[in-house]
Amino acid sequence: MASLVGAFAASHGPLIVREWDNVPPEQQKRMGDAFRELGRRIAAARVDVLIAVSPDHWSNFFLDNVPSICIGVGEVNDGPPEPWMKAFPHREMPGHAGLGMHIVETALEQGFEPSFSHRLKMDHGVCIPLWRMELAKLPRVVPIFLNSIETPMPTLKRCYQWGALLRKAIESYKEPLRVAILGTGGLSHSIGEKTMGAIHEDFDHETIRRFGGSPDDLIAFLGEGLPTRGNGSEEVRNWLVAHGAAGGRGFELVDYLPAPKVIVGCGFASWRIN
Amino acid sequence: MRDYWLSKLFFDLQQPTLAAEFRANPESVMSRYKLDHRVKRAIAEHDAPFLAERTNAYLLRYYFFAVGMKDDEFVRRLNG
Repeated sequence: MASLVGAFAASHGPLIVREWDNVPPEQQKRMGDAFRELGRRIAAARVDVLIAVSPDHWSNFFLDNVPSICIGVGEVNDGPPEPWMKAFPHREMPGHAGLGMHIVETALEQGFEPSFSHRLKMDHGVCIPLWRMELAKLPRVVPIFLNSIETPMPTLKRCYQWGALLRKAIESYKEPLRVAILGTGGLSHSIGEKTMGAIHEDFDHETIRRFGGSPDDLIAFLGEGLPTRGNGSEEVRNWLVAHGAAGGRGFELVDYLPAPKVIVGCGFASWRIN
Repeated sequence: MRDYWLSKLFFDLQQPTLAAEFRANPESVMSRYKLDHRVKRAIAEHDAPFLAERTNAYLLRYYFFAVGMKDDEFVRRLNG
């Protein structure tokens, strides 16, 4: 049977690529070290398949069809479409059709209704963390796009439940795969709003602290605070998926730094899986 | 509120070839979209607050990036 061998979270943001040379050296080092540490842990866990949970930044979907959650069931997915991501070393990336479809089927059996896609474009939300982790060997990647950029979005509670559902699906998949989950995005930031550039450091620290406590309290705290902490902060939903997969326990902060040059409160975390 | 065609224009301008065409001849590109005359004027005048009420914030930022506006100027206009 497959097993969940890791859960991780990392921020992303276009300016981590586009403005990298203008990031102060000490912040470059901290961000680089944090990404690489996550990469080291993924490599140490000998991950066969990485489930990457990220928002779609208008790369796959438009107002014609905005799925709350879309699971990649393709054998192959495309690399990032953004022109400024041209240097990313993978134009195509292997998925895992069997596991992806098993997640869809398990979800439907359990009363969840995801959409699914046989070919997705994995934009910077997935690919910046993968790139910066400097993995010597890229695992197969099953992308899951969770809407956190266009209202209405899935509830925070549902995102947490999705984590538990993913774990159930992984652990009932017959092939002996080592699977990890990576939630990308957050923490506080604001994109295309009047507050663009604002980072709510106190809110981020409190969010991080509450990942170590009761999931219900964390969800209530986020539900109250997210609407005034920038639209990018909504991406913490993807961290909640990882948290749910870990059973709401075992959160470990790798690093957090507010990075004004990339306009993101950059967080990096992993979960101990029991 | 979402203006579908305004949003579609901004979505499509993520394609570099279309963005280049738009920068060279915005009227020609805009003619392919069902845009209200007030929306066309707001685009021409870089009226960010007017546009922000009608599209997703990410798409709005992509648009101003596509036309070459620096983030500082974009935020200044948004708050104008």
